[in-house]
Amino acid sequence: MKTFLNIFLRFYQLVTLQNKKKRQNLKMSARKKTWVRCAFSEMNISTTPVTPEATPAKRTRSSRNVSTRTSRSQSGNSTPKQVLPIESVDLTAVDDENDAESTGPTPEVKANWMESFAPAASEDLAVHPKKIGELRDWLRHCEAMRKKFPAQMCLLTGPTGAGKTATLRVLANEFGFQVQEWINPVDCEVVNALGDQSSGSSYVGSHLEAFKSFLLRASRYKSLLDSHSKRLLLVEDFPNVLLSDKEANFEEILDEYSTYGKSPLVFIVADAKSRGLNISYRLFTDQLKAKHRIEHISFNSIASTIMQKSIKVFCSVMQQPQNKATYTLPSSTVVDSIVVGAQGDIRNALINLHLSSLKGVPSMPTKQLNVSVATKGRKKKMQSTLKSIGRDESITLMHALGRVLNPKFNEEKHMLHSPEEITEAFSTEPRNFVNFVHANYLPHFKDIEDVVAAINDLGLSDVMLDEYRDSSLSTMGLNIAIRGAMLANSSPVSGWMPVRGPKRINIHSQATLAEQRLLGVGYSGISKSLYATEYSSFVKCIAGKLSESQSSQSTDSI
Amino acid sequence: MALWVDKYRPRELSKLDFHKEQAENLRNLCKQSDFPHLMFYGPSGAGKKTRIMCLLREMYGAGVERLRSETMTFTTPSNRKIEVMTVSSNYHLEVNPSDAGMYDRTVVIDLIKQVAQTHQIEISGQREFKVIVISEGDELTKDAQHALRRTMEKYVATCRIIISVNSTSRIIPAIRSRCLGIRVAAPNETEIVSILQSTCKREGLALPVELAKRVVDKSERNLRRALLMLEAAKVAKAPFTANQEIPDLDWQVFLRETASQIISEQTPGKLEKIRERLYELLTQGVPPNLIFRGLVEQLVNNCDMSIKAKTLEFATEYEHRMQTGAKHIFHLEAFVAQFMNIYKKFLSELVMTDDF
Repeated sequence: MKTFLNIFLRFYQLVTLQNKKKRQNLKMSARKKTWVRCAFSEMNISTTPVTPEATPAKRTRSSRNVSTRTSRSQSGNSTPKQVLPIESVDLTAVDDENDAESTGPTPEVKANWMESFAPAASEDLAVHPKKIGELRDWLRHCEAMRKKFPAQMCLLTGPTGAGKTATLRVLANEFGFQVQEWINPVDCEVVNALGDQSSGSSYVGSHLEAFKSFLLRASRYKSLLDSHSKRLLLVEDFPNVLLSDKEANFEEILDEYSTYGKSPLVFIVADAKSRGLNISYRLFTDQLKAKHRIEHISFNSIASTIMQKSIKVFCSVMQQPQNKATYTLPSSTVVDSIVVGAQGDIRNALINLHLSSLKGVPSMPTKQLNVSVATKGRKKKMQSTLKSIGRDESITLMHALGRVLNPKFNEEKHMLHSPEEITEAFSTEPRNFVNFVHANYLPHFKDIEDVVAAINDLGLSDVMLDEYRDSSLSTMGLNIAIRGAMLANSSPVSGWMPVRGPKRINIHSQATLAEQRLLGVGYSGISKSLYATEYSSFVKCIAGKLSESQSSQSTDSI
Repeated sequence: MALWVDKYRPRELSKLDFHKEQAENLRNLCKQSDFPHLMFYGPSGAGKKTRIMCLLREMYGAGVERLRSETMTFTTPSNRKIEVMTVSSNYHLEVNPSDAGMYDRTVVIDLIKQVAQTHQIEISGQREFKVIVISEGDELTKDAQHALRRTMEKYVATCRIIISVNSTSRIIPAIRSRCLGIRVAAPNETEIVSILQSTCKREGLALPVELAKRVVDKSERNLRRALLMLEAAKVAKAPFTANQEIPDLDWQVFLRETASQIISEQTPGKLEKIRERLYELLTQGVPPNLIFRGLVEQLVNNCDMSIKAKTLEFATEYEHRMQTGAKHIFHLEAFVAQFMNIYKKFLSELVMTDDF
């Protein structure tokens, strides 16, 4: 009997599956989205009203809740049941409800806890007011040009967690724009006439086509469910085709958009360390920016003082009645360490704060950094960072170079930044770093004896870096070079010294045409180095004399 | 209009000016039907290339002298295109893989495959193999040499390889054993003098013996350099006189100046200027080992006896590192810094002892 019941249940499930395939798809996407949102989304992305009109490619993640969710308390109260009436099917939300029922007394977990911390007005943003002003100016400009040139473009760059998206959303809300974001479709398949799944190139094409049609349609036609009249397109998630394929011409798309588009278009690109990964560098060439008058606003990572302020705001949010059940206030050392550990990434700071202030979590262990910072009261305050969480300190090449060339020592003659630390923080391309050290170390030295010690170590590291059979040697080589440059300098020279890049040696064939003619066909058989050492100086003077005599002969004949 | 070096280059084995016995041996080698891979070794300007061309003419007839230059493009596995200039005739192909730098392995493999996979079209009266001449074989990386070893065996039916090297020490033993080594020693002074004299006679010029001797001295028994030098001297001053000025190699002059600058001042600031000069030489295409050698020679000649030994000791150390490392400038600079340090110490001690 029981088995029969099971079978029946299973059958019923299958039937419903078949019947509501479309709906199921929507469910799937909703499930995906909530997952994605937890991991990647910005602070105030709301649940998606997946409209049946939307094609799978053009899935607008509209931020309509940005407008509705003006008061925090409302969003704080937004239990899953309140989310449901908005046409969207949020499976995770239902799951949460079940969890809450089954576990009973534990505080409820909201679908997106980050939302309750999202800034609502531009005053709450942790971004520097000047940058906010720049973006506001651009939006004002868009307003002004709405009739004549609606397709304005803007590029926001900056390190991760600098508040690029948050700023845009807040300001768009302020100006009454509806933000429509492009999201790379995961299930974009082209089915051709025979019903076969397409392969290779056409798939790529369709991806691009979907992007194009998003740009053109989303800027023209407003969503049926929306009351906003103005739209603003946001591309944060670049179609992979554009990045991998040079033929898929980004420029063409922009050309098209600038003539047909009807709404302002914003690109948001996070900075990447290497040039190859840097989208803003690869896609947005200076030429392109000039052509379409793309406004480039680059955000800086958030300063620690502002970060501290906004963490205070977060803390006050935590103390609001609806959150009290979830959070306890962390101690001030923990808060300070979060600020240090985040290194200007406010999203990261918020995540750490969330983790360290959840109820029932033992207080986070902190690690003392050996960096002391002089505060206003002339007291030396030790900085500390969270032991288990927080980002690894990663430093840029120039920063590391400064630490190596101007080593700092504390009272006990110990180095503030040990060579190991620098090596570990910067181990991507040892060879490159050693070249930079070599190009710049000399002006910092006063005594030739110290130079000998330093260059000796640099030479040794060069030999070690060239040994490819053991990968650990490269790290060791880098360490030796860094140590050499840091320790050898007994009496460093201080002053402003511009950093120079390492020289590249490009041997170019320096034979002129006359010289080549002199050598005849045999010239191609002479290697560059042989030519430079044996031929060039003599051939130069012979050829010079020849041309002289030829010109004098020609004048004689006249 | 050709340079004297090319104009009066002997074209046949029987017309060579020196090492005549060896020429006879080479001719015997050609008479036999089979013919091994060859490796000509000897100092620069001793006539290796001349002998190779004579040998080819002996084998294939005058057809090898119809040369054409060609730029071949190779694609490395990392999709980088490299261009290499080659000189070829119907029977042989001459290539300088060292110009491809670290990608010489690709060049060697691709080139030999291209040449060796095609047979000679008209076999009548000719050898059934082609010849690939690799000049400056000692500049090949180890990688390329290993690649060469394999291809040498594989395509032995259709092609022979003649490598021209300065020193066999940088050739891997596997290749050394596969080739018949032929040493071409530098001509001695009387031989060079007589060649210079005969060249001038054919040009219709009178060459004073003193001038010829001075040219020979300056050329360091490098025949090519001697001939170029003489021609440059002739261009500077048409009828030769015994004590006329002989032009120098400009990089050597540059190096001499650099050395005197090193001796004049020993500070990090100066070292930086020296580095710039070294960079300039390197960008000109002067190989780092020549720079190193020239620098050591100049410095050792111009310093006190007591520090010569120490200088040479450091020179050996840094030269070895330069060979194993990749950034030559590091080691050149290290040597200069080391010498500056020694020299400065020596000077300060000198002052101290003077005080007593």
